This record gives sequence, structure tokens and C-alpha cells, in this order.
Amino acid sequence: MKNKKSKSSLSQRRKDFSFLLPLASLRLTIALLSLSMILIFVATLEQVRIGIRGALAEYFESFYGIWYYPEKFWGGEILHDIPLPIPGGYLLGGLLIINLTAAYIVRFQWTLKKAGIQLIHLGIILLLIGQLTTQAIQEESRMQINKGDKSNYIERFHGVELAIRDVTNPAEEKVITVPQELLEKGGSYSDKAMPFTVNVLHFGVNCDFDFASAEKSRSPLAKIVNRGVGQSANLNIISKEEDFSSDALNFGHVIFELLDKGESLGKWLSISHPAGNQVWSQISPKLSDMAFQSIRHNGRLWGVALRQEREYLPFSIELLDIENEFYQGTEIPFNFESDVNLHLDENQTRRALVYMNTPLRHGGLTFYQYQMNDAANYSVFQVINNPSWLIPYIACILVSIGMLWQFSFHLVKFLRKNSKSPANA
Amino acid sequence: MFVNTYFEYHRAFFKLLLPSTLVLSFFSCTEEASIQSYSIPSEYDGPIVSWKLPENWGENPDLSGPMAGSFHIKTKDGPQGRIGVMPFREQVSTVDVANMFGREMGYPTFTESTLAPLIQEKEIGNRTFEWLVLKAKSDPGLSSPRTALLALLRQEGETWLFPFIADQKLVLKESEKFTQFLDSCTLRSAKNKPIIARSPPPKNRAAKPSPPPPPRENPWIWEIPPTWKEGKTSSMRIASLKVADQNGSELDISVTTFPGDVGGLLANVNRWVGQIELSPVNKTSLEKYCKPFTIAGNSGHFIEAYGEKDALLAGALFLEKESWFFKLLGTRDLAEKEKKNFIEFLHSIAPKSNQ
Repeated sequence: MKNKKSKSSLSQRRKDFSFLLPLASLRLTIALLSLSMILIFVATLEQVRIGIRGALAEYFESFYGIWYYPEKFWGGEILHDIPLPIPGGYLLGGLLIINLTAAYIVRFQWTLKKAGIQLIHLGIILLLIGQLTTQAIQEESRMQINKGDKSNYIERFHGVELAIRDVTNPAEEKVITVPQELLEKGGSYSDKAMPFTVNVLHFGVNCDFDFASAEKSRSPLAKIVNRGVGQSANLNIISKEEDFSSDALNFGHVIFELLDKGESLGKWLSISHPAGNQVWSQISPKLSDMAFQSIRHNGRLWGVALRQEREYLPFSIELLDIENEFYQGTEIPFNFESDVNLHLDENQTRRALVYMNTPLRHGGLTFYQYQMNDAANYSVFQVINNPSWLIPYIACILVSIGMLWQFSFHLVKFLRKNSKSPANA
Repeated sequence: MFVNTYFEYHRAFFKLLLPSTLVLSFFSCTEEASIQSYSIPSEYDGPIVSWKLPENWGENPDLSGPMAGSFHIKTKDGPQGRIGVMPFREQVSTVDVANMFGREMGYPTFTESTLAPLIQEKEIGNRTFEWLVLKAKSDPGLSSPRTALLALLRQEGETWLFPFIADQKLVLKESEKFTQFLDSCTLRSAKNKPIIARSPPPKNRAAKPSPPPPPRENPWIWEIPPTWKEGKTSSMRIASLKVADQNGSELDISVTTFPGDVGGLLANVNRWVGQIELSPVNKTSLEKYCKPFTIAGNSGHFIEAYGEKDALLAGALFLEKESWFFKLLGTRDLAEKEKKNFIEFLHSIAPKSNQ
């Protein structure tokens, strides 16, 4: 009777969701899983050439990628020139979610007997959704603190912003930021907090730069600049492609003009140092102003800099002490440890120890111990903001409960059958 | 009954799940980037000067070197004159400041005694400024020679210099506005430490230049040729030497140091060649006077310039945090004779730790 009911419920759902029937195909599942294996294989090969970040961006964080058969492989001389489209992570992940959800609706029987299978699949769907959400919304940043200092902001690993600061008031400064997305588009930008218009003339994610000399004149790009460090240090720059390799240093750069009521105040060059603009003064005294190029305008002092995109936090972290341990006789790190005070407000402070695999969690952010320089007395935290961090945990719990349910169900059934058998005999 | 209701809800949930997931994914991908503006407690620890700009004064937007502010006067002939605001992180003696500008204007090197009669103290608002006017001696024929009006404010180990350089008529015409400008200035030093107005000095105090800070310890050693005689040092002049011959020709040899690159090689070379009445050069023609030269194991520059009467020989060393200048200035004939000695002197320079 029950079985009939559940079958009629399934046929009712098949009628209601008939459009999902082709998407619920098991063949599609197999095809998608096979394509996922190809994707992983190709991305692993490509990782050698373009680094982890490059492979992630090219193949996993996209709908498709173009792969060229390696030249060194068998038949590579001919096949290398043929571009091969490979389905990307977003496409395969998205299709797998749809496939599993469709199967859940139009193929599975919603009975207590099959509840375990349902929970396992629900867990897998959640796992896929969690991964897609993480890739779409997770933000990775860094926070660098000198020993004894406090910091209340984090800087993104990838992505820069043009910061224009009015520092005339000794108590408070006004900050206007133009994000990388707008710098890439170019054009003019204004804000009511800023008395001038910023006209973006050129933006690039990476560049080579050096000082021009009698032998080496300035590039046409550098010649545009007539104010600030670019001009005073006689800087020469050449734009280049973003480097995705793991140890790459990408120097984002922007050439912009400031205009007051249509009248040009000059054209500046600003370069962002990937390790933070405080590093400029260590490279050369001539470049130290790159962290703050001052501009006087209508009795106010402004400073401009291209910097890693910054986010201010409602709390601050004070670095009390650092400890850097290595395996004896080697330079292999054994433990990095930062002793910090988390200042929530003036009267509330929380002490914490951050070390490998033991992060500090607060305000939706996770602070992992990332880098440390014992000699220079500073510590760097990798800061992860992932609102969907709980989803994988929930998914794993669902899968575990589903498996327990399914196995228990069969075990109980088996034991019952076994216990009845001797009596029958 | 309960199971049926549960499955009804379950079905309704999945009817909504797919469309809502797609809609949410779509909107999460379309967040538009925009300009952000916000206020934070000040993070800037450099010097801040604010002022009320007098009528017909304009501001030069680009600040270079140690300048915290730079201005010009709008005239019918275009922008004229140069007014600046220069904060020094340490005490700078009035003699050094006077010599910095005096040499450009054809004055012989000032000493405390020769400078004292030229210094005035001027109270503006509740601050006291040292006030010095230098008229260019190199343009005696002109009715309105180039003039430097220098105002110095000292506070808690720091010196703020306000130079006003223009032709004499413009300086006289705008001196009232320059005073108003100084009165309107609020100053904050480089370490987030506000400059508090100094209480006025006693009225009966004689006007005299402030005592220079003690000379800096010399980190170098060198060998001085026997014909050179040692002179007096100051906070900026680490060494002072003199050479004279029977004809009355004289050479002044100095070793000076400054924080930072004080404008870089080009600016300094142009300042020096101006002292021997030569035209300034640009970056491409800098090599006319300048060639690479190793000083104490560091890459430096050797500068050699000959004017009609005077000559300049110099070694310049730009280190990470400071600049060192080894300079010989004086009569051309004697400078040509002493060139060999000067180059040997430069070669003999070594860090004290190598002793």
C-alpha cells in the first residue's frame, strides 16, 4: 500500500516536473563526472605552465577554458596548434547541481526507506553549491602588523584601488577610492567629497619599471606623466601581462589626470607594490613618495596612491609578540606564532594566539598565520571572508546521517531476517 | 498524515529551489563597482600645513623635495615669485639657511657675526619669526634685484622655513600679504605632534640669530692636502677648509650633509652652476658637468664646472637616507691648480669603521 503511494507520488512529481526528466539522466551524471576528470587532468598539466592561480582562474573559475595539447607530448607538433575547448568548473559544477537536483525531484522515491539516499544526495548538492558560493563570494586578504603596532584594515591579495586622501584635518582624513574595475574601464570619475575629477588615462595589472637615463629614454607611456614621482624620479614603465605564478610580483599601475573644472592640474603615475606601499622607501628613496604623492589644492593637502584594495574593520588587532621556530639545523619552518590582542572597543579586549592551523575567527573573518619576519618584527595574517564556510560542514553531516540511516536500515532488515530464519527452520 | 504533509512541503520547496538558486546566482554576479568615500581617524604622519591664501596668490599643485606648500603670485604678466613652506625635522641654524640662499644671490659665506646685523625678530600673531632679507648682489645694475625674504619659525627641535623669492618690488608689494599668510598658517609637524605657538620672547632681548645645534659627528675619514687649512664647522658643515694663494685668490672647500636627496642631482648641480654664473642644464645635458665617481666605495658623482671667473668642483653622494656633498668653490685659476688635490681628497674618503 505504502509502496503504491510512494510510486504514485513519484509519478505525480514526474508529471509536475516533466521538463526536468532529461536533466535527471544518469548518463548525464556519468558524462559530467568524466568531463570533470578531464578538467582536473588538464588543469594539473597547465598548473606547471601557468601556476596554481592561473590554472584556477583559467579552468575552474570559468565556464570554459581553451587548452593546447602540449608540444612535447606524442604528436604534439601537429596537435599543439589546435585550440581545444575544455568545460570549466562553473559549467560542470552548475550542471552537476542541476542534474542532482533534477534526479532528486523526478527519480528518487521520497520514502523513509530511501531517506538515507536522499540525504546523501542532498549533502552532495549542498557541497557543490557551497563550493560554487565560496568561489563566487570568498575574499582573500592580508593583514600585516609590526610588533607593538595595531592594525584595523585588511588588504586584498588581488585587486587594487586608487586612493585619494584629504589629510588636511589632523584628527580625521577623508578617503575616496576608485576600484580596479573602474580603473580598467578608464574614463572620468568624480565624487562630491573630492574637488577634482580623476581622468584615468591608462591602467595595467603589471609592469616593469626602472629609472630612465641618457642611454635609456622614457617609454611613450611614461612620457605622458608630468607630475609627482613618475616625473621627479624620471621613471620608465612598460606594461605587461599579469603573472599567475606562485612567486609572482604584479605591479598594478595607473596614469591619471586630475582636472579642476576642466582645467588640468597634471598627470601622475602611481604604482602599487604587491607587498604593500610601505616597501617603496626600502627600494629607493626616490620612490618613497609613491606611498603618498602629495597634491596641494585650494588650501588642502591631498595624497594619492594606488594600493591593494583595502577594507577597514570595526575592530583592531595588536601584535604583542611573535615566535618563529625552525626544524633544528634547517630553515624549514616548524611553527609561526603570533600573540595578539583583539581590540573590540575601548574597554573590550580579547587575547589570542594565532599559529599554524589555529586561526583567529572574529566578525565573519578568519585570520590564519601566513608569513612572519622575525628580523623585521612583523607578522602577516591571511584573512578569509567566506560567508558560506558552514555549508561544507552541514553537507558532510547530512551525508554522514544519510549513510548511517541507509546502512542501519539495511543492517536492521538483515538482522531481523536472520533472527526469523531459525524459527522458520 | 504527517509524512504526507512533509512530502507536500518538500515538493513545494523544490519547486522554489531551482528558480531561486538561478535568480540569486544571477544577482550575486552583477554587483557593480563604484567609487567609495569614507572617513577614518588620520593615518597620515607627515607634516601638515594649512593656511588662508591671500588674494591674487595661487598654489603650485605639485610638491617636490621637502616642500609642504608652494605658491606664486598672480600678476598680469603671469605667475611670478616663489613662496614655499619647508619643514625641517631638526634644528637648522640660521647661518646655514642664510648661506643656502645667500650663495645663490652672490653673498660671501655668512658667519654668525656677519649675519647677526641682518636678522630681525618679528612677532606675527602669537609666534615669533626670525626675519631675513637678502637682495641679489649678482644683479647690481637692476632697479629691482632678485630678493629672498626668509622667515624662520622654531619650535620644539623643529624648524619651519618660509622663503619668499621674487624681484624686490614684488616682495615689497606683497610683504603685508606674506605676513597675513604666516599669521593664518596652522602647522603640524611630521610626527603627529602639533606645533604649539611659542610664547613671545622678552622685549629687551637683543635680536640675534639662534644658536646653531652642535655639529654632527663625522662618519668619514680623509686625507687633507698640506696646502689646505681647516675652517669652522656647523650642524650642516661637517668640515670646512680653505686654500689661498699669494694673488689673493681663495677656495672654499666644504663637506655638507642633508637628510634625503635635497632635490636630487640635477637640482643641486643647477644651484651650484648658478653660483658661478652659468646657465642651468636639463637632465639630458647634465653629463656636461657631471660624471660617475666612486666615493668611499659608493656610486657617486663628480661635478666640474668652470665659469668666467669662478669654478666649482664637487663630489656628490646620495645615500639611502642622506646626501653628502664635498664641494670646492672659488677662483677659477686656483681651482684648476687644486683639482688634482681635490680628486685625491675625494679618493681618500673612507668610512670611519674601516680605520
